[in-house]
Amino acid sequence: MRPPSSLRQEFLKKWMMGLQRYSTSKKNMSILERKKAIKLSADVAIASARNGTTCWSRALIANGYSKDGGDDKHLVEQILGPESERLIMKKVLTGGASVCNKRMRSKKILKRSCGIQRTRKFAPQVALASSIAKRLVRKRTQILRSLIPGGEFMNDVTLIEETLDYIISLRAQVDVMRSLASASELASEP
Amino acid sequence: MSNRRSRQSTAGVSRISDDQIIELVSKLRQLLPEIRDRRSDKVSASKVLQETCNYIRSLHREVDDLSERLSQLLATIDADSAEAAIIRSLIM
Repeated sequence: MRPPSSLRQEFLKKWMMGLQRYSTSKKNMSILERKKAIKLSADVAIASARNGTTCWSRALIANGYSKDGGDDKHLVEQILGPESERLIMKKVLTGGASVCNKRMRSKKILKRSCGIQRTRKFAPQVALASSIAKRLVRKRTQILRSLIPGGEFMNDVTLIEETLDYIISLRAQVDVMRSLASASELASEP
Repeated sequence: MSNRRSRQSTAGVSRISDDQIIELVSKLRQLLPEIRDRRSDKVSASKVLQETCNYIRSLHREVDDLSERLSQLLATIDADSAEAAIIRSLIM
């Protein structure tokens, strides 16, 4: 499923805005600094395309904002535009107490459901297979949670929903960056 | 079932219903390049999760590699360069 071109355009526009910020401030950057700048602008740009509607995008923006270097804060504000304050604050509000409560409640539900299943009578092989499967799913869900920005604040259902959106956005990001890289390589050939 | 759904939206707490997870996992399957091509209908949730994690990791790596390439190619970060105009027209 190809990401919609509107998403790619939005990303490109915001990414360029972010990169422009660097051309005005630092003229002589090391390659490493430039790489970080490109990556940071790309991440904030793809996150801002969601306009604060998804948890992962809010987490990415918060990460971009909290990185050291006052310049990065301005970069985030520039890319987000007039909505920047609302979007940055959004993470603080939603990522706080209400989410902690959600996490507690989901844990309780999970514990309760695990307890119920423990008392069910299965044939031994079936019980073993299903418990192994459950453990695998739990383990892999944890890994997925670590890969999605802000994943530690999500319950299982939200995690999968966010993953779907995150993958589409990542693809858009990769598509655009790849096109720019190939075109730049072509342009720089003698 | 409808009770569960309406309770979920008002209480703000997610009751993890099996059907929801099955639906979401099948959507996830459609996104993953490897699994989509496979004919099998029986793909376990743990397999889907594993493929998803691998896929996301490879996407992250690709972003990192591309950032590296671009940092070398774009000698100065000049967003008004001809490349940006070219790319814009390619993506339209």
